[in-house]
Amino acid sequence: MNLSLVDPFVLAQDCPEANTGSLRSGHSTCIRFSHRGDLLASGRLDGTVSIFDIETNGVARKLRGHTSQVQSLSWSTSDRYILSASQDWKCVLWDLKDGSRVRTVRFEAPIFIAELHPKNHLHFVVALFEEQPMLVDISGGDPIKKALPSAPRRTKEERESASEKQVAQDAKQTTTVACFSASGDHIISGTNKGWVNIVSTHTCETLYSTRLTPNIVILIRLTSSGRDAVINSSDRIIRTVRLPDFSDPDLDWETLSLDVEHKFQDLVNRLSWNYMSFSNGNGEYVTASTYMNHDIYVWERSHGSLVKILEGPKEELSAVEWHPHRPFVAAVGVDAGRVYLWSILTPQRWSALAPDFVEVEENVEYIEREDEFDIQPIEELQKRRLDREDEDVDVLTVDPGKGLEWYEPGEFRMPVLLDIEGSESEDEVVAVGTGQFRRKNAGTDWSVEGAIAGDGVAVGSGDEARRSPANGSGARNGSKRRRAD
Amino acid sequence: MSTHEYSLSERPREQSDIPNGVHDAETPTSHSSSPQRSRSRSPNNNYRRDRAASEQWLPPEKPTSLNYKPTLILRGHKKGVSAVKFSPDGKRIASCSSDGTIKIWDATTGKHEHTLEGHMAGISTIAWSPDSITLASGSDDKSIRLWNVITGKPHPVPFLGHHNYIYSIQFSPKGNMLVSGSYDEAVFLWNVRAARVMRSLPAHSDPVSGVDFARDGTLIVSCSSDGLIRMWDTATGQCLRTLVHEDNAPVTGVRFSPNGKYVLAWTLDSCIRLWNYVDGRCVKTYQGHTNSKYSLGGAFGTYGSLEYPYAFIASGSEDGDVWLWDVGTKDVLQRIEGAHEGVVLGVDTHPKGGVIVTGGLDKTVRVWRCMNDGSGDVGAQAAETPNGLSNGHGDDTAIPSAGT
Repeated sequence: MNLSLVDPFVLAQDCPEANTGSLRSGHSTCIRFSHRGDLLASGRLDGTVSIFDIETNGVARKLRGHTSQVQSLSWSTSDRYILSASQDWKCVLWDLKDGSRVRTVRFEAPIFIAELHPKNHLHFVVALFEEQPMLVDISGGDPIKKALPSAPRRTKEERESASEKQVAQDAKQTTTVACFSASGDHIISGTNKGWVNIVSTHTCETLYSTRLTPNIVILIRLTSSGRDAVINSSDRIIRTVRLPDFSDPDLDWETLSLDVEHKFQDLVNRLSWNYMSFSNGNGEYVTASTYMNHDIYVWERSHGSLVKILEGPKEELSAVEWHPHRPFVAAVGVDAGRVYLWSILTPQRWSALAPDFVEVEENVEYIEREDEFDIQPIEELQKRRLDREDEDVDVLTVDPGKGLEWYEPGEFRMPVLLDIEGSESEDEVVAVGTGQFRRKNAGTDWSVEGAIAGDGVAVGSGDEARRSPANGSGARNGSKRRRAD
Repeated sequence: MSTHEYSLSERPREQSDIPNGVHDAETPTSHSSSPQRSRSRSPNNNYRRDRAASEQWLPPEKPTSLNYKPTLILRGHKKGVSAVKFSPDGKRIASCSSDGTIKIWDATTGKHEHTLEGHMAGISTIAWSPDSITLASGSDDKSIRLWNVITGKPHPVPFLGHHNYIYSIQFSPKGNMLVSGSYDEAVFLWNVRAARVMRSLPAHSDPVSGVDFARDGTLIVSCSSDGLIRMWDTATGQCLRTLVHEDNAPVTGVRFSPNGKYVLAWTLDSCIRLWNYVDGRCVKTYQGHTNSKYSLGGAFGTYGSLEYPYAFIASGSEDGDVWLWDVGTKDVLQRIEGAHEGVVLGVDTHPKGGVIVTGGLDKTVRVWRCMNDGSGDVGAQAAETPNGLSNGHGDDTAIPSAGT
């Protein structure tokens, strides 16, 4: 509803421009926006998952269960369930209605990433360290794990002519990242040898393989339509790929070829990319955080050019996420674990405060109306005014399609917890000097800070501080040293 | 009537500084709360243009009058009732009073469920959270409190921050934020979970008399006795538009229309105006009631059939009447004469239609049901009246009205 009043020039901007605040609840390691975009899940170093409310910048819920750093997060389409994968080798499916654990699945290896099926929140895919990726069905009592192939698909001729060395190499490949297509019928996975495989969810067979890079595929992300993929690999190049419509029955997997649309890289500084994601909507922009650097790069996809470098705080950023339908970017600082936010700055229009005034670019000669200064009896004016009120007004019909963050009746809505503060048992600790900490006063915590406070006081959650008092400052020193190199 | 004693909660509602009790005694001559089918103009043939006008099928004819009859009188408050609100699920009624208490009633039977006590001064405003479990109240003791209406227990942490009486509060549609307007001329936006001020809007240069959220939560409207109505962007806290009428009459209350496209504003020149806030134009003026001193409450309601609802506006009046206007034609659909003895301060409509609740300076809360034949379909489902209520006793009595 605010859109009808907001300056159209502001609305036309679709790329964030400035750091506008930060969020904090413990030491964040990974983040993910809900599909609706009103919540931001943040996985923490201590294994807790905090759900931030983007509207209030406060914590809406905390999910406790993991014992080690959270590695990846994935929302169900309804935004009711969230799947977290942790370095304790477990995946947990959470129900945000009451914050309970729906299922906990343990794996025999560290987890790279776990992604929920878009249509069924009781199916998910995991990529594991030096193990085969798994398709997991948790609808029953015991989780059913199906191993997925990592080896690229070879044609018959290739298989016959393959050397022993090549067969051995194929067998040695492991999947480093996996995600579902938009319909959930296919899994797109990347391997440590730079192959991208498309696997059928139903038959668990590889339908198509292509090698995009000689290096490890680090991350694959799709747009919401599922027709574009962005792939990060350790060769310091981010590639965007247009995908065919997988649900098309006429799709011929044999003749399919995936072509790289754009390669984004920094040839001068040879930057490598920590993390990347698509922008809202159909992925007009690609954004990436950089290794050992505190900037966020934004490329636009129609021309493949770099459009913006978002200046951040003075710390390296890891996970970076774009809001599902607003020009709003969130990124995690590596050292302090704070979540930084970028969006558009909207200047206050002074004419909005005084309705008699209009903002004009240059002087305009005022042309008075014929009867503007005529003197008329007040009753006459009143009557005329009332007579003019003959238009039809509709105060009931709701415009459809407006307000993407609006909940329709019956849709899942996360309950508002009034005692979230009470659950905040761990002390927030501020470093006041080398090795010195003091408890942070309640009050200023995770409120939006207009500016990032200088070099940023290293804030650690209580248990971190307990584990090693120098953790906060130690990490900082570490990064400073790295930067100095 | 005897002169009233006004507590703090009533005083900010008076725009002129009249000392206690000097206020004219109202003249509620007889206790006749007999609603009349009156003052309706000729039938209106303007069917809703967007939906109707299909050739082979015409929607049911638009009723030209409404017939709300008294069904319950809820007694118990020791001082004037400043606001009444139906819960969003329609099951309960909350009323607050200058005696510093809030009472929760069953909406169908009128059974008294809880009396919420804790405020140190009179209460001017209440708001239901969207889940109908939490009630927020704003008081002259400068605090906002949350209450669990199921258990009747207060939330331990009051919302402190305003420097003067709380005048008006409203929950955001998701229930995660609360907006409050105060006599200290500021509008605060609260994070409900943390009970902290998220944002302070430098809103007005006079007491803020009304605040409301648009249905999608992206807009806030506030109004003040300085005569201005301001629209705010919830996300940025910026003023997006200011509405002001030429006469500059003090604005005492403001509400968004159910679809969020218009705002309805009460002014102390005995007018209620409907504003198209995008164009900044006043599109309708509703008149007839008297309003020169108090912040009167009011609400949008619907009538007609479920499929083709029409909208009406309900408002109290300082002469003890309740007025219902058709939104489009400005025709008076019903004037409930002598609804209360004295000023009708609070009016709310049932979320499913067909029921109105009013509260007044006569310390009572009254429930009215629509008895239109045939056309009261909307109300019929909500108005399954358990007739022949037995009287309770003591403070919590629900008496079926003897008025009819």
